[in-house]
Order: sequence, then structure tokens, then C-alpha cells
Amino acid sequence: MKEWFGTLARLVVGGVWLAAGLLKVTDGAGSVRAVRAYDLLPESVVPTVGHALPALEIVVGLALVLGALTRWVAVVSALLQLAFIIGIASAWARGLQIDCGCFGGGGFDADATSKYPWEIARDTGLLLLSLWLVRRPRTRLSLDTFIFRPLTAPPERLDHDDEQAPVHR
Amino acid sequence: MTTSKPPSTAERAAAALREQQRREQRRSLAIVGAVVAVLVIIGGLTWFAISREDTTGAPVAASGTPGNTDGYSVVVGAADAPLTMKFYEDPQCPICQQFEAQVGPEVAAAVDAGKVKVEYHIVSFLDRASTNAYSSRAANALYVVADAAGPDVFKKFHDLLYENQPAENSAGPDDDQLIQWAVQAGADEDAVSQPIKDDVYAQWVTNATDQMSKDGVNGTPGVFIDDKLQPDPGTAVSAVLEAVK
Repeated sequence: MKEWFGTLARLVVGGVWLAAGLLKVTDGAGSVRAVRAYDLLPESVVPTVGHALPALEIVVGLALVLGALTRWVAVVSALLQLAFIIGIASAWARGLQIDCGCFGGGGFDADATSKYPWEIARDTGLLLLSLWLVRRPRTRLSLDTFIFRPLTAPPERLDHDDEQAPVHR
Repeated sequence: MTTSKPPSTAERAAAALREQQRREQRRSLAIVGAVVAVLVIIGGLTWFAISREDTTGAPVAASGTPGNTDGYSVVVGAADAPLTMKFYEDPQCPICQQFEAQVGPEVAAAVDAGKVKVEYHIVSFLDRASTNAYSSRAANALYVVADAAGPDVFKKFHDLLYENQPAENSAGPDDDQLIQWAVQAGADEDAVSQPIKDDVYAQWVTNATDQMSKDGVNGTPGVFIDDKLQPDPGTAVSAVLEAVK
């Protein structure tokens, strides 16, 4: 059951990352402006972050959907979500009215203040799902099953603790 | 002589197991390394593609720089007017259209009276809300008209574009229609038609849009009254109407 829940978590979090990244790849300039609108990072790194973030989102999304190196990728996913929650909360606290730019777009949004709580709730949900995957990275239908599969069946005498065998990381 | 005794079955099995575990560990590491490498390559290529596609800040030649501009703006009104306003507008932006409808006539009267001058910062980021890149084509056309016919004709053309603004996510007016409105506003057809069709100020418009974001304007219409950025379009309407009274 828990392994299937992990699969679901991977698909949900990974799917969101993939969508977020793919919606931004065609508009790097827009992504840069969305990052700049938060007014948190020094201008010298704003274009780099604006261009690199969608690429990182796509890689994290892809790895999670496929279930490749789930634990490490989930750590990155959790850290990114944490950063976004801080960014949105900070924009809210400073009275900025900006679209979060999470799925492309970005910039001024007259309804921003009413959207911030929902955006933070969504990202918190995704953060919790990511943390679940850090804790329980072994899931069904994942590439990790092949990546960390032993060459041969473990010897008979190890069978009793096979369920939590250390090969699954 | 225990040392010379051949290893027992149990010892041999244990040794074989250790060897197998070492092999599996090496194999695991190699596969993990390969997967990491694939992910890094995908990410790196995507990053590279995004950076390359974004031409923001690329230098523009003299031929790509419209005349009758100041910074990334066209200034309408007397240079010695006591009050300066800056309007950052995207031709496809519906709120800009509403803004222009609400303050346009009053602002025009104040400009004519020499009370105010307006810097029109034409930007373009709403091609995503058009099926035929109306936003960037119209922005280019506005700078073409400013270059060829000056600020007053630019202003008339600008007003015509907002009166005829296409709905979001539809096909906007084509280049021939833009040229026709430019001529209607008072521009010379021969002077504007090729530059409008060739999108000659595309890079300039991209750079102008980046400058908007650097100026702290996160959306359009972005309105400054004497260097004071209005927090939202609603406030901007009442503040502009108050300022031009």
C-alpha cells in the first residue's frame, strides 16, 4: 500500500514539476521577469536563475515521474518547494501583488493577495509529498527497481528481512 | 595444520557472497552514475536552449533603434511640461485598453494644454495571448510610426490600436491592417510598410520589455506620475485623473 502511495506521490509531484517547467521553456525572458518581480535576488543572478529554474524543474519532474534516484531527487524537490513557499510568503508579507509565475506568466496580478494562501497551501502539500518520498523512496513502477536491483536473488538466510533490504536507496 | 586445510563449504560460500556483494555495489554505483549523468545532460541542454532562445539584452544596431525615442519610450507633449507621466503598455493588454479609455481624453487635453508630457513605454510580453503574435507586431509598428512620423502621429496610431484591440487568444489585425491604421494616423505608407512587415524593432521591443521589469513594473499598464509608480491600475486611473485636473 505504502509503495503505491509513493508511486502516486511521485506522479503528482513529478507531474506538477514537469508542467511548471515545460510551460516556461518557450519564454525564458518571461521566466527572468517573474523571478525579478519577487525582488529577492540580486540582479546579477536573476537572468541565470530565470533560465536555469525551468530546466531544473523539468529534470526533477522527469526523474520523479520515472522514479529514478527518487530519494535524492525528492530532497531537491522538497528544497525547491521550501524556497518557493518562502518566496511567495515574502511577496505576500511585503504587499507585492504578483502572480507567482509558477506555471509561466508572472508579473502583476490584481487578485494576487487572495491567491497567495492557496499557492502556499499547494506548495506545502507538494513539500509534504516530497518529504514522504525522501523517507520512503521505494515505490512501485519505478526505474529505481532496476537501478538498485541485486544481480542475483539474495541468499536464503537473508530472506526474512528482505522487505527492508538495504539495497533499496 | 589448520592453515593448509582447504576452505570449508561455509567459508567458500561466505567468500562468494562477499564477492557478489562487491560486484553488485560496483554495478549499482555505475548505474547511478549513468542515471545522474543523463539527468545532468538533459538539464544542461534545456538550460542552454532556454538561455539561447532568450535574446534579451542583445545589442541593436542603429537600424534596429527607432528615432524619436528617449530611452525605451516615445515622449508625447511639450518637453517643458511641468508634469511627467510614464505609461508602460502592451498593445494586447486589455487593462491597458480600459486604462486608455478611462484616462485618454483627459490626458490628451492636458498634453495639448502643455500641462503634462507622457512617456509611452511600449513593451510586448503578451504574444502568448495572441494566435498571430499581435502584441510584438503592434509594438514594433508603434515604434516604426514614431520613427517615421514622430510622436504626434504615434499617439494617434496608438489610440487607433487601443480602439481596435483584438480579443485575447484571437488572431489580431495583420500587418496590412496595421499599415492602414498607421497611414490613417498620418504616417507615410512607403515609410512604414516595409519596417512593419519586417519587424525591424523586434530586438528593441524585447529589450524595452526587460527594461520595464528592471524599472520595477511587473505588469501593464505600469503608470508613473512624476517617478512615483502607482501600485495597481485602479489606483493609477484615479491618480492620473487627479493629476491632470
